[in-house]
This record gives sequence, structure tokens and C-alpha cells, in this order.
Amino acid sequence: MSHKIRIGIDTGGTFTDFIFFIDGQLFVKKIPSTPHNPSLAILAGIKDYLKKSLSVFIIHGTTVATNALLERKGGRISLITTKGFEDILFIGRQNRSNLYSLDGEQRQPLLPRQRCFGIEERTTAAGKIEKSIPTDALEEILDKIIKKKTEAIAVCLINSYANASNEHIIKKAIKKRNVPFSISSEILPEHREYERTSITAVNAYLIPVLSRYLSNLEKNLNHANLKIMQSNEGYISPSFAASAPIRTSLSGPAGGVVAAFHLGKAAGIQNLITFDMGGTSSDVSLLDGQIRRTNESFIGDFPIRMPIIDIHSVGAGGGSIAYLDRGGSLKVGPRSAGAKPGPACYGFGGNPTVTDANLVLGRLVPDFFLGGKMNIYPKRSRRAVKKIAGAIGKSIENTAEGIIEIANATMEKAIRVISIERGFDPRSFSLFSFGGAGGMHAVDVASNLSMSRVIVPKNSGVLSAMGLLLADAIKDYSKSVLKMNDDITVKKEIRGLFSKLIKKSITSMKKEGFTEHRIKIFPSLDLRYLGQSYEISVPYKENQPFDSAFHSAHQKLYSYFHPNRPVEIVNIRIKVVGITEKVRFKKHPPESPNPQAALFGKQELIYGNKTFEAKLYKRLLLKTGNTVLGPALIVDDEATTLLPPGWRLTVDGYFNLIIQRK
Amino acid sequence: MKAPSFDPIEIELFKNIFVSISEEMGAVLGRTALSPNIKERKDFSCAIFNKKGETFAQGSHIPVHLGAMPLSVQEALKTHEFEDGDIIILNDPYRGGTHLPDLTCISPVFIEKKLEFFVANRAHHSDIGGMSPGSMPLATEIFQEGLIIPPVKLYQKGHLNSAVFDMILANVRTPDERKGDLLAQVAANRKGEQRMIDTVRKHGIRKITIYGRFIQEYAEKILRQTILDIPDGSYTFVDFLDDDGITNKPIKIAVKITIRKSEAHIDFSSSDPQTEGGVNANYAVTSSAVLYVFRSLIKEDIPFNTGLLKPLDIIAPRGSIVNAQYPAATAGGNVETSQRIVDVLLGALAKAMPGKIPAASSGTMNNIAFGGYDRIRKKSFAYYETVGGGMGATSKLDGLSGVHTHMTNSLNTPLEALENYLPIRITTYALRRGSGGSGHRKGGDGIIREYEFLEPAQVSIISERRKFAPYGILGGQNGRKGRNILISSSTNKKTLLGGKANFKIQPHDRLRIETPGGGGYGEKK
Repeated sequence: MSHKIRIGIDTGGTFTDFIFFIDGQLFVKKIPSTPHNPSLAILAGIKDYLKKSLSVFIIHGTTVATNALLERKGGRISLITTKGFEDILFIGRQNRSNLYSLDGEQRQPLLPRQRCFGIEERTTAAGKIEKSIPTDALEEILDKIIKKKTEAIAVCLINSYANASNEHIIKKAIKKRNVPFSISSEILPEHREYERTSITAVNAYLIPVLSRYLSNLEKNLNHANLKIMQSNEGYISPSFAASAPIRTSLSGPAGGVVAAFHLGKAAGIQNLITFDMGGTSSDVSLLDGQIRRTNESFIGDFPIRMPIIDIHSVGAGGGSIAYLDRGGSLKVGPRSAGAKPGPACYGFGGNPTVTDANLVLGRLVPDFFLGGKMNIYPKRSRRAVKKIAGAIGKSIENTAEGIIEIANATMEKAIRVISIERGFDPRSFSLFSFGGAGGMHAVDVASNLSMSRVIVPKNSGVLSAMGLLLADAIKDYSKSVLKMNDDITVKKEIRGLFSKLIKKSITSMKKEGFTEHRIKIFPSLDLRYLGQSYEISVPYKENQPFDSAFHSAHQKLYSYFHPNRPVEIVNIRIKVVGITEKVRFKKHPPESPNPQAALFGKQELIYGNKTFEAKLYKRLLLKTGNTVLGPALIVDDEATTLLPPGWRLTVDGYFNLIIQRK
Repeated sequence: MKAPSFDPIEIELFKNIFVSISEEMGAVLGRTALSPNIKERKDFSCAIFNKKGETFAQGSHIPVHLGAMPLSVQEALKTHEFEDGDIIILNDPYRGGTHLPDLTCISPVFIEKKLEFFVANRAHHSDIGGMSPGSMPLATEIFQEGLIIPPVKLYQKGHLNSAVFDMILANVRTPDERKGDLLAQVAANRKGEQRMIDTVRKHGIRKITIYGRFIQEYAEKILRQTILDIPDGSYTFVDFLDDDGITNKPIKIAVKITIRKSEAHIDFSSSDPQTEGGVNANYAVTSSAVLYVFRSLIKEDIPFNTGLLKPLDIIAPRGSIVNAQYPAATAGGNVETSQRIVDVLLGALAKAMPGKIPAASSGTMNNIAFGGYDRIRKKSFAYYETVGGGMGATSKLDGLSGVHTHMTNSLNTPLEALENYLPIRITTYALRRGSGGSGHRKGGDGIIREYEFLEPAQVSIISERRKFAPYGILGGQNGRKGRNILISSSTNKKTLLGGKANFKIQPHDRLRIETPGGGGYGEKK
């Protein structure tokens, strides 16, 4: 499995980022994305490496599936379900999204009701097949589906999580018709019919789009070995991704978290909260020596109940617009000025944004905005912020600080959700900041949450692509159990179920090209107190009790536990990892504490209602061991880092900026 | 020291803090509760209050709880001295509650040994005793509806008052589930208390108290501006409840809304007197419905709090259907009458602002409760759920189909969860085609939900809009009325049940609920 060239490619909305690892060296490249056909930018970026007969290994983070879902540009699908439940996708959970609105609500279903077909069959909750599939009726339905020019078929039957045999019969029949399919008991064999049907339909909807994209891309890659990043922190082969595109939903942001994990580990810092602040939104996630996952996320309106990295997004970023509402309260976001017209300082629009507030306060260096490649107009920022300042009777500077405080409060709330609400104390974590706008806010956000350290990694502008190079191959398997953990037969049954799943997962990882000694298995159990509706995942070790681990996890999350209540085993899960060779980070010895060589100027900085003179440093010229005292700004091509007064920055052996209180 | 003045930046920051505290309380409650009605359907609300029992912010959960919660805290204040660690529990509709299944837990928050705030949550329990399982019976006095809990201390100085706890558990059909749900409610309050204490530690008591007030003033200011946009004048509307389940007589709800600049007088004086059957709304329910409607007129995302009551003057005569007096039965007032109050308020406002108000939504929560003994699981069961209907159309959009509207937004219980937990089978869960009223914009369709019982069970239904259809608007057609049907397994005979019914069902008989559609908007072209 050794390859001479490894490439991480992350397709973003604006830029496609590349990281090349060739002969022990890392190179970075950024070229404009080609949203109508993302593979064009990719091929342009790597063409030099495809011509020669090189051994090339590519891990790709793609937003093709997610965008197709959000923009409703997926395939033409049909749904087969149990008769009497054809409307399941249209009823959803029977609730509305906005509690207080007299304006109604518009929904965009993935398929019209006419392509939802019910079949007379029934499985009971206990897993008994009460009515098997009537073959003639099934063939009739398939005839209709084919006539309707269906590109993929979703199949989800009531209670199929408890026994999938009826779904298997349908699957066999579809296979004969040669139409791509998505089977609920394979995608998500867990109870809750709406969530399972929805994810199965979403998956079917994305199959045509992602398989077209990937086969087209592979065709043009010659012999390069392509892998696709998934939302579960690992990559997988294109053919597997094309059959389960839902697994690529967080393909892009997942890379950033994986990078944080490995860079943190190299630097000896395991407890991290990642903070990726972009133009319109910000993502946060928590690592406590491992990447945390969740089974309860949404993409657009669609619930995704499969294990994906627990990334929480909020609608606030550098481009978020500030305005005064009718009650006299200053609001920031969720409306964003986007890339066009962009913040007022871009010269096209007049709405004050977070970026404008930063510029007014001297927290950006106008001549070095995006490495000096872009002209900006600080006067326009002042003018935009002045409009609000006039209305609230404050100075332009105070108003700008207010805008930033409010944006920071939104970030803090997001971090509270993934830390305090999950039972973690942010004070024992470091804030790992990347993304275009993160560096200007990271120290304040950390400080407000009493976090004592901020890390701004090297290559922070292409961190997701970096993470792709560091990822392993990962697959997840699960099985609903819904049994009480109270007797020996259940324990035996669980052992049996685990060994079946483990066998299956090892076989499938071998198919991905891994030998047994490079395969690692992580079994876990989703547990809850009998009667509860939400589960907590606890690691599983054969012949070892897991109740006490569950009690203490419940205590940690919710501050109480039921010592005598029976524990229910809801699902068993296997995460199987194929370990790949990775980029190794070299630690450089400290050179000198004096950062003088990187100093290139000074500018006025307003912080906490006071004016300071901030020193300006070029990030690329900072050496290991350099120490900078705030107030200062560290500038590179992608981002600016604000080092406020009272804080000290040191450059560690991996060229990370480590920021702590003086 | 000068008192801090209103700061547009800080108000936004404190709004953020208060709302997130009530949301964190909700997260604990929803995730650790045991009954489907709380954990799956999220039939609960959380809020924080000043020491007078006025709200700063409430989690966006169930609108019908919202106006009612301050009255709970105020009732607790009237009856008790507080100590740190206390939790007051209550459900009495005539002493701070809404209807008996809603149990409210109230915790004082002490700062430096002084009572400064309250946190509270209210959750709908799927049984609180009384004459029928699920505690949504056809009763004629409140004593039949279940256990009445006046404000009493469930915890005293942090210690469980097991006399009260045991007394409650001894009076309900599913004590184990009640215990788990109550402990989840306690945990939610403890989380809220801790967060309030942490917030004070960070920002100081003075600032929190003052910004609590500013946030009420902020909500009031926005509502006043919203009312200013409504033309001055008086607007009336009348609609009816089908009946009270005891007699067949329709019950009139009439409103006259008078808009004068930034204030609204809402007069229900021409409404019928309270009734024998349990569709009586107490004042808390009526004020929740009024608050809901006026809050919905506001386009901004504002915290829901007591400030919204200031511009509203509600006249609800004592002893009327909208301000029932002890010992009237109230099980359906909270869930059904509240919806009709919304319908008449919106009907009146439609005259003031034609084009801006939607047609009537289904106007009922279709409450289904049942219970019995499960021989396979060897235990008693009691279950409660509500079923959505059609949303009324607006000038721009067709109404949504199969959704909860207005005073509730609880989720459905996944039928796979239901079948796994109860001796029941759902045989159909579908949209009821053609039930939405036609028009320029079509009303949403209702739902068909069919239950097959695997064990004998006692069933009670409280539903509405079986006789009076949800109204269309500006020429749009009415939505179709709902129907409740009993289907015998032996003869396949279908019996049409009333909107309110209480009966015993035999194994394999089916109950089919067809819920009303929403009204259409404008004439069909």
C-alpha cells in the first residue's frame, strides 16, 4: 500500500484545496472551484501528476452529495413501503418548523406522492413476518416504477429493523431489474420509521448524482487510486461511496476535525474544541482524545441518524450582517453578505458585517487582506458601521466592538452545545482555530469560556485537505437489538450478534485492500434506561459488564442516574478501521524566542474600548520558539490572527501558534 | 452606583443567555424522560422567571403552556415560603395549572441566601389517575379527571418529600413511568438553577435583574409596534365548539378585538357559560391562546415573556367557557378550547388585516388516550397521544398537510416505538386526501391513523371539528370535518363515534381517526 504521491483534495464553495505529500515534503495549492462540475478544478490541480506514470493515492472530500440534496438536484426516485404508510415522508414527525408564524410553510419533498408505492406485507415489532411479500404485486409495482423512469429505488418497510427478510425479497427483485437501490435495513437498521425511511430515500436520491460524478472523475484519473472521505472521519472506496452517498454528507468539514485530531496528538494536546469560522457559518466540534460522533444530526430538513462526526454549525461568520431590530436590539446574522456583494469593505455592498467591524477596530491589515491579493476599502467599513452607531448613540468603535461581541456570543453558544450540554467542561480544552475568520475571534471566544489556550495550526487555511491526508479507512455497522440487559441469554445473544457483525466488517475491510493486521475493530453499545428514548454509546468488551459505564455516562451528561432501573440495549455498533500510512510530522527544535525577523509594521488596534499599537508579523517568517506578546496581529495568505493585549503567543516545534495568557 | 441603562448590545447578549438556559433545561427533560409523550412528542415547556414570577424567556416548546406558566409561579408564591433546594409541584387548574395531566415543577433560585429567580418546567404526563386511563376522560367535575395536586413541596431544602411523591405515585396507573418523568423534570430544574447561579456569578445580580426587565420591555415594545400596524377599530368573530361530550349543545366562543393605537382589548363577554363536560378553559389557557396569536403576528425572533401581556387587555367573564371556575372539568379546555379561541381571534383579526391572516387550521388536537393490562409484558399500560391535521391556507401558500397547528407542536410517536412498547398495532398512518378546503390556495389535508388493539382497552377520545368545519377565508372552502370510527374485527361493521367518546375496545377491533383538513384561501380561479 505504499504510494509515492499522496494528495488530499477538498472541494469548497469558493476554492478547491490541495495538499501534496511527495518524498516527505508537503505542498499546498488552492485554485478556484468549478461548482457546475467540481472535477474540472480537481483535474486542473493535479494534471501534472497524472501525466507521468506515477503511483498516486488521492483522498477526496466532496460536497457533491450534500449540495445536490440542499439544492434538490438529486435523482428521480421511487419508494416502496408497507401499504398504509405511503405518506410517511410527507407527514414526517407531524410538527411544523416555525412555532409562531402565520405565513405557512413551504416544503420540497424529494419525490412526488405518485412515486410512493405501498405493498401488502407486515413484520411485527418482535420481528415476526406476519405477511410475506406478494410476488405478483411486487412485480406490478416494479413495472410501474420502471415505467416512471426511476433512477433509484428506496425500500423501507415497517419494523424491518427487527427482521429484514421482506426487504431482502424486494431487493432481490430489484436487482433483476438492474436499477440502483437503497434498502433501509442496510442503510440504518434502527427503529423509528420516519427517520429510517427518510435517510433511505435521501440515500437513493443521491446515488445517481454521486455515481455519475465519481465514475466521471475516476475515468479521468488514469491509474490514480481514488478514495472518498465520509462523515464518519474515515475514507472509503468510490464504489462504496456511490452506493451509500449519504455517508459523504460531511465529507468536507470532517477533514478539518481529523486534522485537528492528528495535529493535536503530535503537539501533545488531546482535549480540543475545533473552531472553524468561515464567511457565512461556523463549525465547532469536540475531541477528548478521540473524535466525538453523534447519531442525531440534520442535513437541511433531513434527520441523519447514523454515526457522523459531531459537528455543530451556527449561522454566523465574517460575512454576517449586523442590524438593529424594531425592539432596539443589535443583531448579527444569520443573514450574510456572502462572497458577493460581500462585506462593505469589498466595495460592492453597504451592509456592515463582522469583517467590517474587525477592520474598523484595526484587527485586519488592509494591505494584506488575503495575502494582499484583494483590494479592500476601510472607509466603507467605517461608513457602514456608522449607520448603526448613529442609531444607537454610540461611537463607531464601540458599535464595532458590540458587533463582534454578539458574533462571539453566538460562537460561545455553539461551543456550549457540544461541550457543556454533552457533559464536558470547556475549561479543560484548548480551542483549535482555523478557517478564514477564526483567528480574529478565537482568543476572545476562548477567554469568555475560561479556556486557557488557543492553537492556530500551520496550514490553517487548507486544514480540511490536510485532514484528508491523515484519515484512515472506516466503515460503520449497526444492528437494532431493543432487549433488556438482564439475563444471560441476552448477553449470549449480544456476543453472537457482535461476532457476526465483526466478521462482516473484517471481510468488507479486506475488500478495501487491508490485511488483517492493519484492521482495527471498535465495538460499542447504544444503551438507555428501559423506557427512555435517547441512547448513550458505551464501548463494549466481550465478557465485561457495561452497566456501570452507562450509569456514569448518564450521570456525566444529565447529572443523575437510576441505579436500579433496567438498562436496555438498543443497538450494537461496530466501527472498523483500516489503518493507512500517514504523513508524519517532524518536530523542529526551537530556534530563537525573538520574532524580530517576522515583524513588518505597526498599526492602531482598538480592544476593550482602548487604543493600542499592535505589532504586525508575517506568519511564514515566524520561527519555532518565537514568542510574541499581544497586542499583535499575525498575518498570512489565508487568515489573520489577533493576539489581544494580555496574551502571549509561542511558535511550537510544528509551527503551530500556541496562545496563552501572559 | 447608577443603574445600567438599556444597551442594544447587551440586550442581545442577555437574550442569548436566557433563551439558552431554558433550552438546556428542555434538553435534559426531553432526553431523560420515560414516557413517549415527553421524550418523543416533546409535550413540555421550560422557563425562567424573576422573583415576582414574571418570565424572562421560555423555551419554544408548547404554546399552550406559555401564558400559563407565570400563573403557576405566582400561585406558588402566594402559598409558600421558599428555601434553597425546594421544588414545588402542582397541577390544579384553579391554583396555577391548566389541566390535570400537566404537572409543573417550580424551583426557587437563591443568590447569596436571597430568593432572586425561579425556574420551572411543565410536562404533560400520560396518566394522572381519575376515571379513565390517560386522564383525558369525559368528566363532569374535576374530581373525576384525576389526582388534584395543589402547590406542594416535592423537595424541601434539596430533600425529596417522599410522602408527596408516594401519594402521587399511588394515584396513577403507571407509577414507574411517572417516577422517571418526574425525576427528569427535577433534573431539568436543577440544570436551570445551576445555570442561573453561574450566570449571576459571571455578570452580577444587578445586571441580570435589570436585563431581565429590559427583555420584557423589549418584547413589549415590539408587540406594541406590531399592534400599531393593525388599523384601529373593533372586530368580532364567532365560532363554536361541537359540544362538551355530555350534551349535544354547541358552545359559542365569541370575541371582540378592539385595536387602539398600540393596545388591544380582547373581550370574550359574549361567549357561552362554562359547561358540564370537560372542555372548560381556565383563564391561564385563554391568556395563552391570546399571547400565541399576538406573538405570531410578530415577525422578529423574540423571547417569549411576560412583557407581551402589557399591551393586551383580556376580558374573560368568570364562569364562562373561557374562564371556568372550580370545580368545572377542564381536561379538554387546554387542548381543544384553546384551539377554538385561536380560531376566533384569527377570524376577527382577518377582518382587520385581510390577506395577512390564514384560513382556519384543523382546530383540534384529536386527543386519544387508552389503557388496560398487557398480558405479554405483564403490566398495566396507559397511553396518550394527539394527531395532527390540515393547516389553513395563506394568501401565498397551500396549507401543510398532516401537521400540528397553533397551540401545539408535539411530534408523533413513531409507530415502531409504539408497537414495541404497547399491545397495539398501527395499520394505517396516511394523509386524508381531499380533506383540505379548496380555494386559490388549498387547505392542508388531515391525517388518517388507524389503531388495532391487541388487548382489551378502555379508550377515551376528545376531539373537535366533527360538527363545525374549519373555516375557509375570503371565498376559500371549509376544510372537511373529522370523523372517529370504530371497526369491529368480527363483523367488519363500522360505527361512527362522536367527537368525544369513552368506550371499551376488544382485541383486534380497530379505531380509525380521520382528522379535519385546513380551510382554503380565496376563491378558486
